[in-house]
Amino acid sequence: MIERPQLTLGIEEEYQVIDPESGELRSFITQFIEDGKIVMVEREIKAELHQSMVELGTPVCATAAELKEELLRQRDFISRLAQERGLSIAAAATHPMSRWSEQEVTPFPRYQGVLEEMQLLAQRLLIFGMHIHVGLEDPDFAIDTMNVLRYMLPHLLALSASSPFWQGQRTGLKSYRAVVFEDFPRSGIPDVFPNRAAYEGLIQTLTNTGCIPDSSKIWWDVRPHSLYPTLEFRICDLCPRVDEAIAIAALCQALVLWHWKLRQRNVTFRVYTKELIDENKWRAARYGLEGKMIDFGKQAELPARSLMRELVELVGEEIAELGSEKEIAPIEQILANGTSADRQLRVYDETGGDVKAVVDHLAAETVEGL
Amino acid sequence: MAEYSQPSFNVSIEEEYQFIDPDSRDLRGFATAQGLTLLDAHGPRKEDEQVASPTGNPSGPSAPVAGTPICQDVKQARQELLRVRREMRELAASHGLKMMAAGAHPFSYWEREQEESPRYRALIEDTQFIARRLLAFGMYVHVGIDDSNLAVDVMNAMRYLLPHILCLANASPFWQGLDTGLASYRSVLLDALPRTGIPNAFRSHNDYLSYVDTLLRTNSIPDPEAIWWDIRPHSHQQDRSRPRSQDGQNAQPGNAATDQPALEIRVCDALPDINDVLAVAALIQATVAWMVDLRHRNMSFRLYDRTLIAENKWRAVRYGLKGKLLDFGIEQEVPISDLLHELLERVEPVLDRLNCREEVAHVHTIMQRGASSEQQRHVWRQSGEDGKAVVDFLVSQTEQSL
Repeated sequence: MIERPQLTLGIEEEYQVIDPESGELRSFITQFIEDGKIVMVEREIKAELHQSMVELGTPVCATAAELKEELLRQRDFISRLAQERGLSIAAAATHPMSRWSEQEVTPFPRYQGVLEEMQLLAQRLLIFGMHIHVGLEDPDFAIDTMNVLRYMLPHLLALSASSPFWQGQRTGLKSYRAVVFEDFPRSGIPDVFPNRAAYEGLIQTLTNTGCIPDSSKIWWDVRPHSLYPTLEFRICDLCPRVDEAIAIAALCQALVLWHWKLRQRNVTFRVYTKELIDENKWRAARYGLEGKMIDFGKQAELPARSLMRELVELVGEEIAELGSEKEIAPIEQILANGTSADRQLRVYDETGGDVKAVVDHLAAETVEGL
Repeated sequence: MAEYSQPSFNVSIEEEYQFIDPDSRDLRGFATAQGLTLLDAHGPRKEDEQVASPTGNPSGPSAPVAGTPICQDVKQARQELLRVRREMRELAASHGLKMMAAGAHPFSYWEREQEESPRYRALIEDTQFIARRLLAFGMYVHVGIDDSNLAVDVMNAMRYLLPHILCLANASPFWQGLDTGLASYRSVLLDALPRTGIPNAFRSHNDYLSYVDTLLRTNSIPDPEAIWWDIRPHSHQQDRSRPRSQDGQNAQPGNAATDQPALEIRVCDALPDINDVLAVAALIQATVAWMVDLRHRNMSFRLYDRTLIAENKWRAVRYGLKGKLLDFGIEQEVPISDLLHELLERVEPVLDRLNCREEVAHVHTIMQRGASSEQQRHVWRQSGEDGKAVVDFLVSQTEQSL
């Protein structure tokens, strides 16, 4: 019998560091580097390829409520750290106007290597994601769960969309980040794996043939983490509002529990091919909640909002069991008022196309409630 | 695109009846969808003109058919099956015989005596399977699913529950006068043949058709009817090789159980008590409807390998309702009664829609009373291991309520 997963939660966020005057991205991480290493501050901060990007992760949390406390604390910390240097932070999947070609690359050999390997694609990867970890210890069941929950990844993307702009331009998409990331190899919706051995066989082949040093270089929209006993959901755009980020994490947690309970009852959600799920992912990236997505069970196009409500209802029992009703509630607020992408576009339209106003809006939302 | 349409879930039932000598209680013939065969001292004789096949073989218009037409629900199927059983009883009586329904005859030695007879060998040559499984008698339930891909999808999932159904529908504990110790010896007889038992899963209906075509092209089977799995799809395509009636048309719809795309569940022993037959048919129908509901909700029963399901089938064959089956979801052994209660709970939402609540409720009675094999074994022990007493019991239970 597969033990009930621990269902612990953690979130990693990649923040934008911003000059409050100009609203542009500013190099930041080098201020904490001495002798080629990041100096210890109160919390572990991780460098990224771009100096204007900084990554932090919450500790492992038992509940969504606890995760919210930790995420608020984390944002408070990084926001103060930036403030001390006259900077501010913003949480959104793309910066509304800054240009990737003008960003400085972190001077670690590791990133020089990535740059050498990925060339312009690495430089262009000026995108910011939210990675949600849900504790799931059984490695076989992790692959099973990954196969099934692939279906809901476009839904998670639609709820989190926060990258409608790219280098000062309105892209017409709600998540431009999703499209930029697809340029990378080993990204996007993964294929189905018949079992854990098939997954491990793939990793073995890729490492044996020198494609990757280890499975941390698999950048799929969902993956079993290479070190932690977690399933990592990587599809989401970074959410400016903490409550919305937490709501989506609570949904991921409920989905894992839901699938485990189905498993106990010998039932499973249908597993669809990557090609079909990609159709929904494209719709989510293009239209967010404003479009229609496909219900492959009914073989019908349905309004994205009604599919989101159906998804939340689907795991209603699990949300109650996990006691995360309060944390998941902001999903209704997203459905009513739109995602961050919708809000950014509203600010843009209301200010007559002022992207700097959008940056200010994002910076303000990011620290709301701290 | 439109949503999936709801299948008809209509039902038909085929049974194989044993004709019994009223004095010796020995087996003297049997009626199946393929016709009537009489067994006597001279060997087997096919008496095709006396029983029409539900698949439309040319026969006299008044000849009885060993199966119901397609019925809207199990309530209609009950009326039709009562009529079929009455007609079979009369057909038997016209040969001076009695009629009964059970998975095997308790003590008939006929096959053993006749194995060396030239006429018996000719019959094997001629009718292949029908003759070779002479003394094993089944009950076949067809459930209408118009979409053939959906039918294969449901078949894949349903495979898991066939052992559960066999635990209710077992009626062959004896073989040639011996207590086999099993609940369904018929299953053991059948599974020794090729293309029997629990099938593998198929990716699509085309995948299944390509398998059938390979067997046809390689002369492995004369027609798709020679696939004798515990569950199989039935469709028009599959009936291409069937004989046509004299005017060149297929048999009239409504006359033939196999004329509509359907899933055919073949795992059950023939059962004496008509209430048991209807209960099992209704449970099968409700389970199919539940599987389709899951499909419409983007879900599926989990698919397991044939080799795992076969473990459960063996337990069903061996212990019937008295055993434990493996629940692969929780990876534990669970008493069959618990699993059946769980199944009844899961199909509960579809019962009113299918108008089969009363019939399914009889499953509880079977579970409390014991399956037919247990009842037969009880009579056997009470009568000092008298096979004739078991036959009398089976004849009277089959005739009951006719």
